[in-house]
Amino acid sequence: MKSQKPFHLLSVLLALSMILAACGTGTKSTSGSTDTPSGKAKVVLFVGMSTGTTPEQTAAEEELAAKFNAAHPNIEMSFVFVPYEEAKQRFLTMLASGDPPQLACPVGNEGISANFDTWADITPFIEADNYDLSDFPSSLVDLQRYSGKLFGLPLGVFPSMIFYNKDIFDAAGIAYPTTDFNDKTWTMDKLREIAMQLTLDKNGKNATDPAFNPGQDGENVVQWGYDDSYDGSDLNGTLTMWDAENKGRPTTADYKTAVVNSPEWTYGFTWLSNGVWKDQFMAPLAVTQARDSAGTLPFTDGKTAMFYGHTWWSAEALPDLNIPYGVAPLPYNNKGTRIERIDADTCAMPAAAKNQEQAWEVVKWLLEPDQLIDYVKIMGYVPARISLQERYKTEVIAVDYPALDTGVLFGAMNYPDVPNHESWVPEYSQIRSILASTYESLYAGTNKDDPKALLDSTNAEVQAVLDQYWATHK
Amino acid sequence: MQSHRKSSSSLSRREALSAYTYIGPWIVGFILITLGPMVASLYFSFTDYNIVSPATWVGLGNYRHLFSDPLFWKSLGVTLKFGALSLPLQIIFGFTLAILLNQNIPGVNIFRTIFYIPATISGVAIALVWGLILNPERGLLNPVLSLFGINGPAWLQNPDTALYGLVIISLWGVGGGVIIYLAGLQGVPTELYEAAKVDGANIWQQFMNVTLPMVTPVLFYNLVLGLINTFQYFTEVFILTRGGPARATLVYNLYLYQNAFSYNHMGYASALAWVLFVITLVLTVLVFRSSATWVYYEGQLKGR
Repeated sequence: MKSQKPFHLLSVLLALSMILAACGTGTKSTSGSTDTPSGKAKVVLFVGMSTGTTPEQTAAEEELAAKFNAAHPNIEMSFVFVPYEEAKQRFLTMLASGDPPQLACPVGNEGISANFDTWADITPFIEADNYDLSDFPSSLVDLQRYSGKLFGLPLGVFPSMIFYNKDIFDAAGIAYPTTDFNDKTWTMDKLREIAMQLTLDKNGKNATDPAFNPGQDGENVVQWGYDDSYDGSDLNGTLTMWDAENKGRPTTADYKTAVVNSPEWTYGFTWLSNGVWKDQFMAPLAVTQARDSAGTLPFTDGKTAMFYGHTWWSAEALPDLNIPYGVAPLPYNNKGTRIERIDADTCAMPAAAKNQEQAWEVVKWLLEPDQLIDYVKIMGYVPARISLQERYKTEVIAVDYPALDTGVLFGAMNYPDVPNHESWVPEYSQIRSILASTYESLYAGTNKDDPKALLDSTNAEVQAVLDQYWATHK
Repeated sequence: MQSHRKSSSSLSRREALSAYTYIGPWIVGFILITLGPMVASLYFSFTDYNIVSPATWVGLGNYRHLFSDPLFWKSLGVTLKFGALSLPLQIIFGFTLAILLNQNIPGVNIFRTIFYIPATISGVAIALVWGLILNPERGLLNPVLSLFGINGPAWLQNPDTALYGLVIISLWGVGGGVIIYLAGLQGVPTELYEAAKVDGANIWQQFMNVTLPMVTPVLFYNLVLGLINTFQYFTEVFILTRGGPARATLVYNLYLYQNAFSYNHMGYASALAWVLFVITLVLTVLVFRSSATWVYYEGQLKGR
């Protein structure tokens, strides 16, 4: 009989190594150590809670870091790149393990709100340096201001506008939408009227024709008049344009009362529902999800006359777009006001992060015009600094998007939704999920005969979440 | 004699020591990777815990909230409906396929391989492929249905049909069960069929009185596994529908996942996990209890 000792030993070693591996602290990841072996203070930027993770972007960010590191002998700037879908969990795991990055950069409003309790107030740094904020529109700075605390300064923004297909307008003999922000005839009713004329079924009938036959799930429609679906499931982003008292926020200012069924949102929600199911100039869920799941960006297939989207859509879609397009401001709503949703990115500092002073140095450096212009090129932003707009026109728009009307682009920044549709509310992710489900239900037609009832039940659901939150958070 | 006993006892101890040494790594792994997290989740289920802040004790608060949470009931209902549709179909479809693959026809091994292959593919890949197949605008299924004059629905985009779309997808993986059914069918003694033939039984009678009773242990095994899998159903719905549209596919595990990893309600998610465990356990025990009335084990004495 062969000796079993080697096998016994192997088993014991295996078991011991597992125990040691479980009990040990493991190798400390580079992100959490505060200093490099050469004594430099580390500033790790967590990239993944907005844009910035494509191979082209990461390479350009590394170049930027090399430039910073060459100019700052005592600080080493580096990155942790995480895919967007995994970013939140990875970030929380790093926080929970006591190993947070020094900055989340870039991070959008959504990322700030979803991890609300984790950020440091940068006001003391701004005050200590007497940092000049006059070059940033105050409405954009205020996007990250909560109860006197400021969680970040805007690096760049993604304004929104109407993109339209010139060929479709030309074929129908309809004048292009205006680029004049003061044109009071450019209203959501006017958009609806045009969109119905431009929606065609396979028999060539438009949505104003009694013989128009879109089919059960829009399968007979070959051309849609209007699309506002690319934000996917963003109900408050879609309804912010109707200018409710709290704009894009689904609660009152004290965050205790749900206002999802405010008169303005109810009007807008009904307008949308009718647009999909009665006036039928907007595609239902079957069409938009089929398109999205096939990997096609909206508007790019040439089957949509008008599309309301952010410039992060245009950064993805316009470089390869083979359709003659134009842009227009979002029309005035039924109250005669204009509210354009806006997304903005910042660099935020986890409150538990070490090397905060060095992290602030990195933020300031990135916000310097010479770096910021490079950074917005990498990320596809419009720069938040007013003084950079001219350089952006000549160095980015004229080169990459010559057909884009810069008047419309920059004009859109004058009508931001504040409170923003991605601004914090209690139980942010849960409430966003409830709203997303309602948005999907609208497009799926579950309450097409009584959209208000759907909004009322959503309001009750959000209120229940708020009540439960405030029961434990006095 | 005493010396023999001593030596036998010493041998037993040595054998036991050897056995425990060999399974030591598994025991350590089980304790650290399975049992430890289970105990931790039981503790967290009595706390308010969001990963970042320390857990605070809330007693039975999470369990009380659970029973008043409409989405808990909604997700449980969706899961039960999915299981009620999917599980019988998987068993019937898999068993029928196994019977066909048990026939003595040329190339049967190739067919067996072909039908088993889908069971080896990851759920993510299956979900992505079926998402394309069921796509109402560009998919394969609806054009095929239209050949028969059927206007196929927007399967996964319509709240009325989304769950049925997932049931169709669930049938794709029956190959794993087919192999087990096939093993059971091939284990039925041929002399039983010969005796049945002598008694004048036709094919249907042979199936009902010989085949079916003899494979009931295998059916029972697949039923229990299928039941457990139903309550663990997640990947396809996570990839394809995320619980929508209009929460029509919000299965229990997805709701649990959302609470844990989207809303950071780790305590509540742990309570959901333990309730899921209890539900699965109760249903499995019921199936085990029922097996006395319909599962036949060869050589088993009636009443035992």
